[in-house]
Amino acid sequence: MEIETVLTNKEVPENIRAKFEENVEEGDQLLFIIVGDLTLKSKYGVTSLAVTEKKFMVYDPTLEGELEIYNHSDVLEAKVKRMYGNARLNIIFKDGEGKAGEKKDVFRFTYSVATLCDMAALFIENISAGKKLEEEYDVVHATYEKMMNVCPKCGRTLVRQGAECINCQSKSKIAGKLIKYIKPETKVLVICLFLSIVTTAMALVPPYITGTLVDTVLPNKDRDSLMWIVAALFGTYILQFGIGAIRSYMLRISGDRIVASLRNDVYRKSQSLPMKFYDKTSTGSVINRISGDTATLQSFMLRISQEVVVQFFMLIGIVVIMFILNWRLTLLSLIPVPIVVVGAKIFGRKILPFYRKIWRRWAGVSSVLTDTIPCVKVIKSFAGENRTVEKFERYNDEWLKVDISAAKIATAFPQVVSFFVTCGSLLIWSVGGSWVLSGTGGLTTGLLVSFISYASMFYGPVNFFAYLNDSYQQALSAAEKVLDILDAEDEPDFNKGNCPPIKGKIEFRNVNFSFDRTKKVLSDVNLVFQPGEIVGIVGTTGSGKSTLINLFMRFYDNYEGEILVDDVNIRDIDLQYFRSQIGFVQQDPMMFSDTIYNNIAYGKPDAHVEEVIHAAEIANAHEFIARQPDAYDSMLGERGIGLSGGERQRVSIARAVLKNPSLLIFDEATAAVDSETEHLIQEAIERLISGRTTLMIAHRLSTLRKADRIIVVDKGEIIENGSPEELMAMKGKYYKLVQIQTMADQVKKSKEEENFE
Amino acid sequence: MARLYIDGDEARFTKKDICLVDMEFYDGRKIEDLEPRRLFPVSGLMKYISLLDLDGKEHAIIRNVDSLMPESKEVILQSLNEYYLIPKITAIVDCSEKYGILKWTVDTDRGRQSLRIRNRFSDIKVLYDGRILVRDSNDNRYEIPDYRKLDKKSLFFLNSEI
Ligand SMILES: Nc1ncnc2c1ncn2[C@@H]1O[C@H](COP(=O)(O)OP(=O)(O)O)[C@@H](O)[C@H]1O
Ligand SMILES: [Mg+2]
Repeated sequence: MEIETVLTNKEVPENIRAKFEENVEEGDQLLFIIVGDLTLKSKYGVTSLAVTEKKFMVYDPTLEGELEIYNHSDVLEAKVKRMYGNARLNIIFKDGEGKAGEKKDVFRFTYSVATLCDMAALFIENISAGKKLEEEYDVVHATYEKMMNVCPKCGRTLVRQGAECINCQSKSKIAGKLIKYIKPETKVLVICLFLSIVTTAMALVPPYITGTLVDTVLPNKDRDSLMWIVAALFGTYILQFGIGAIRSYMLRISGDRIVASLRNDVYRKSQSLPMKFYDKTSTGSVINRISGDTATLQSFMLRISQEVVVQFFMLIGIVVIMFILNWRLTLLSLIPVPIVVVGAKIFGRKILPFYRKIWRRWAGVSSVLTDTIPCVKVIKSFAGENRTVEKFERYNDEWLKVDISAAKIATAFPQVVSFFVTCGSLLIWSVGGSWVLSGTGGLTTGLLVSFISYASMFYGPVNFFAYLNDSYQQALSAAEKVLDILDAEDEPDFNKGNCPPIKGKIEFRNVNFSFDRTKKVLSDVNLVFQPGEIVGIVGTTGSGKSTLINLFMRFYDNYEGEILVDDVNIRDIDLQYFRSQIGFVQQDPMMFSDTIYNNIAYGKPDAHVEEVIHAAEIANAHEFIARQPDAYDSMLGERGIGLSGGERQRVSIARAVLKNPSLLIFDEATAAVDSETEHLIQEAIERLISGRTTLMIAHRLSTLRKADRIIVVDKGEIIENGSPEELMAMKGKYYKLVQIQTMADQVKKSKEEENFE
Repeated sequence: MARLYIDGDEARFTKKDICLVDMEFYDGRKIEDLEPRRLFPVSGLMKYISLLDLDGKEHAIIRNVDSLMPESKEVILQSLNEYYLIPKITAIVDCSEKYGILKWTVDTDRGRQSLRIRNRFSDIKVLYDGRILVRDSNDNRYEIPDYRKLDKKSLFFLNSEI
């Protein structure tokens, strides 16, 4: 076999690579190297595992001679043992050569290379078992390829090779992303901008006029001019505030439109996020972002698009006027500017950690909220009201503490800076005043008065720009959270429009999966189901049954291996189409707070009334619905409050029936109901499954009496797979389960008989 | 079967393998190849150690490691120390942030390590007693035993995260 390069996950240090190469004999070649970070003595350090066609070598500085070499052919079993925060490659050697059944930990690593080591273990084991080198190497190659699909900047896994990292790209282009929302409002915003320049100009007029008033009109006792000037001031005020009113109205509505469209987008996005996202992010925080953070962003966008320009013109206008009035005084009034700028810089640095802290505390408070309010029944039934209140108060107090200490900085700091600035005006008064008294530089009282007015206006924009960074930071953290949703990867769906008819053959090929790297939930699952087959999936709780279904439903994508339907990889099928072909009845059926009718019709909103009724009939739900006073119009509460567990279950079956799916999946659809209801549901299911490939997870084996085939899942592995008769004959786990349950049923039956007597 | 709790000197432990121990009762009963595991790896490091056999079946629980005989205690601690790799961060040497991802270089009791923290809010957890639990982007875990005892520089890096 020819290989192009030795696969590695990291740069292999030269000395280590040399050591490996020394030990490769003629006719053998290095295939791949895994660079690890933990020694066998559990200290950090560079280690490596190199695998050739015939043997594997471990470099570890704590080993004697730093290198150990083993032949694949001596290996009976190679397993990765996952511990806490680290894992080991454990080898059991074949008998013979004095190594009879010897066990040894040969390589130790943290979870950063756990996936690669899993792959290496499998490779070594398979080669030792005599499997084809080329095929095994292909698996190795694919694993490396997948592993290397990471963003070089931030190390996140990319959706596919060469894809742009959504994370890195966005943070540098936050502004660009948000401009999209401002764009439709450009016209209005430009008008507003124009209006605000007018108002700014208007604002610059009064101080000048006051100057004239003081210098010429008042000393000359010129009543006519006084009236005129007052009238002129009145006029400017009308213009200034009238236009101001129009402008703020326009800004308000365009701002509302911006936030509305932003909110729409965030919500739309929240619907296409993968389950992985919701596993990690609390629903409360998602809701917060849609309702709260979008508003913060909106105000910031307006600030950027309006205030910055306005304040800039204001600043320029004032400085120009001040220079024209008196350049010497202008220079004098610039003295406090550095104080403001430096002060704001320090302020920004001090306050940023507090924003984060406050957010953290606030997240704590809201997590108590989202946790406890929906669980109010549990709290009451365990008399836990006081405890929850205490917990809430504790978190709220934490928030209070941090917010108070932030308040000190947030309020005191600007005041101190303003104090210095105001003292600056004292400087102008004293110097300018003495110039007026001595008549230096032609400075008059009026000029000084209007100059002072301008100077105090001048610090408005200076402050604005000095603290712009601060409000930018604040908006940034809101933007971060909103973009976290907007930019999160969608559920992978790269083949929109590919909608092949689905007959119902299902195949799992070498599927491995873990939610996080610490625990493998499914290992090496290989299954084939024929069209129309009814498959029962059994196993203890936590064995991975639901996970198997979740992968098939494409709720999680980061599994290794392939899942195929009718020999097509499910990843290659249009996602929405694919799911629409599956009737999925969940373990705890969720209902919307809507009418029963709409809850059933959810799977097919345009269904005819009679179709819905028919579906309810098939699901054995029609009768109990008809008995409700409001029948199909009965409103359900949140999550389906108002129906019993078994009723909800039947409504959810009706929902699945209505879709007329090609595949059916039941995840413990009868786990939570009494035997009579189970019987009804059972009937419903049996009516439904004719001719459709059906996967049925069930605890009660009686549910599976129609199954053509049973698979037994244990600790993530398929341990038994065959027809019920075959499995019974095997006397394995399934046999045991059946025994236990028939025994339990018999006990129950005899108990019941006792009671009747 | 009632759960078997081990309180003190009724059982003796001897080391078998890196993570395995043998348990011998004073009456001579012996169970081999047990793996000690913490029932409370986060909140109780010395209390309630479960002893599992190779099939994952529990044979006994040690109430408190400190109450064992000294040699047994040493054996159990060694084994736990091998199983649980939660490096204790003694100092944060460097900290940078790019694209919302924190990159720390830290000194730990196992040597120096660089780690990436993907989500500063959910991957850094502050407990009430000053302990901080950290999870990096590879799902490795770290612990700061008491952040108040860190040096100035580390505290500075940590300040906005707590
Ligand atoms: N979202 C999740 N994140 C992490 N682990 C999970 C998640 N869902 C399930 N698990 C774990 O995966 C294992 C298999 O779960 P599951 O497939 O639901 O079992 P079951 O066979 O009872 O349906 C369990 O150990 C469970 O703790
Ligand atoms: Mg389940």
